[in-house]
Amino acid sequence: MEFSSAAVAGTLESSDVMVSFSPSDEVLEVEVESIVMKQRGRRIREVVDELVSQVGLDKGVLRVQDKGALECTLRARINTVLDRAGAR
Amino acid sequence: MVEIRELCFESEMKERASLLASRGLSVPDGNGRVLGAFDSDRLVGTASLIRSVVQGVAVDDSFEGEGLAASLISRVISLAVSEGVGHLFLFTKPSEALSFSRLGFREIVSVQGASLLEWGSPGLDKYLVGLSEMATGRDSSAVVVNCNPFTLGHRWLLERASSSSSHLFVLVVEEDRSIFPFEDRLHLVSSGLSDLDNVTVIPSGPYVISSATFPTYFTKGGEAESVHAALDIRLFGTKIAPALGVSRRFVGSEPNCRLTALYNETMKTDLPPLGVAVEELSRIESGGVPISASRVRALLESGEMDSIRPLVPDVTWNYLLNRYKENEE
Repeated sequence: MEFSSAAVAGTLESSDVMVSFSPSDEVLEVEVESIVMKQRGRRIREVVDELVSQVGLDKGVLRVQDKGALECTLRARINTVLDRAGAR
Repeated sequence: MVEIRELCFESEMKERASLLASRGLSVPDGNGRVLGAFDSDRLVGTASLIRSVVQGVAVDDSFEGEGLAASLISRVISLAVSEGVGHLFLFTKPSEALSFSRLGFREIVSVQGASLLEWGSPGLDKYLVGLSEMATGRDSSAVVVNCNPFTLGHRWLLERASSSSSHLFVLVVEEDRSIFPFEDRLHLVSSGLSDLDNVTVIPSGPYVISSATFPTYFTKGGEAESVHAALDIRLFGTKIAPALGVSRRFVGSEPNCRLTALYNETMKTDLPPLGVAVEELSRIESGGVPISASRVRALLESGEMDSIRPLVPDVTWNYLLNRYKENEE
C-alpha cells in the first residue's frame, strides 16, 4: 500500500495521544515521546511496531506524542493515522 | 465547556486583538486561519496559522494551566495537516519556549526577545544533513540572494565573491513571495553563473530568509524586524554556515531599502563572533545610479524596456522578453 499523505490523529490534551505521519522515501522512522516514557515507552513502541507491520508501512516518519493515553486509545489513534495516510 | 472554532466575524477579531494585547502580543500580519476558544460566548483563547507558521497564540489568565493551549495547538496541527502542511514553525518569547516544547515543538534558535520552534518533519536536522553533503571540504563562502530578477549588479557581486573564494555557495531565497517565481529566479542565477566553476547555486530552503525565519522581510514593517533579522542571522551563523563549511558571507551594500540595510548591519555585528566574517561589496552603477533589481522592476512597471537592457545579463533579458510577450498576448 502507498502511504503518501501527511496525516494526524488525536490531540495533545491530557490522557490522549497525538500520532502524526509524514511521507518520505526514507526507511520508516518512529519517534516516541511520552510523559510516562519510563513506564510506557517500550510498550508504546511495541504497539506501533505491531500495527505498522500489519499494514506494511516501511517508509516515512511516524511520531507519537503521548500524554498518558490508554492502550486502546493509542491503537485507535495509530489505526486512524494509517487509514488517513494510506490509499486504502 | 470550552468550544474551539474558527473566527470569522469582525467583532470576534476585535476580541482576539484585545486578548493578544493583554498577553503583550500584536496581531500577526498576513491572512490565515484563526481559531478561537469560547467559554460560553467569551473568547478565552486564540491561535492562528499563516501558511506554515503558527502565530498569535494566547490564552486568557483564568484558563492558564487547564490544557487549553494544548487543545488549541492540537487543532492548529490538525488543520495544517489537513491542508497538506506537515511541518510547522512557531514564534514565541524565549520564556514561553518551554511550554511549547512540552507540546512537541523543537527549538531551532533563540535570540533576545524571540525563539523559533518547529513541529513535524523534515526538520532542521535533516536539512543540515542535506547541506553537509554539499560541503566541499574546502573553506567556503556564501551569499544569500533573492535576484528578483537577476541583474548585472548581482552578476558583478557574485563574480567578485567567487574570484576571492575557494568555493562559493549562492543561496537563492526560496520563499515564493516575489514578483518573479522562485523556479525562474533559480534558473536565471544558475544559467547566469554557469561559467564560474567554483560556484554552487542552491535553494535557500525554509531556514534562510523564509517567512518562518524572517516574516517581516516579506511584509515590510512591524516592530519585530530587528528581532527577526537577529534570529535569521543567528540561525545562519550557528547551524547553516558550519554545515556548509562556510566562514565568510558576502553581501551587497544597500543604499535604498531600510530593512535590508538593517539586516546587513545586524549581520556585521552578529556573524563574526560566530566565526563567519562578513564582507560588504559596493554596488556597480549605471548612469550614476546603482544597478538593483528594484530599479529593473520599476522600469518594467513603466514599460521602459530599452532602459532595462544595459542593466541585465542576456539570460535575464531573454527571459523578460519572453515574459513580456506572453503578457501582451
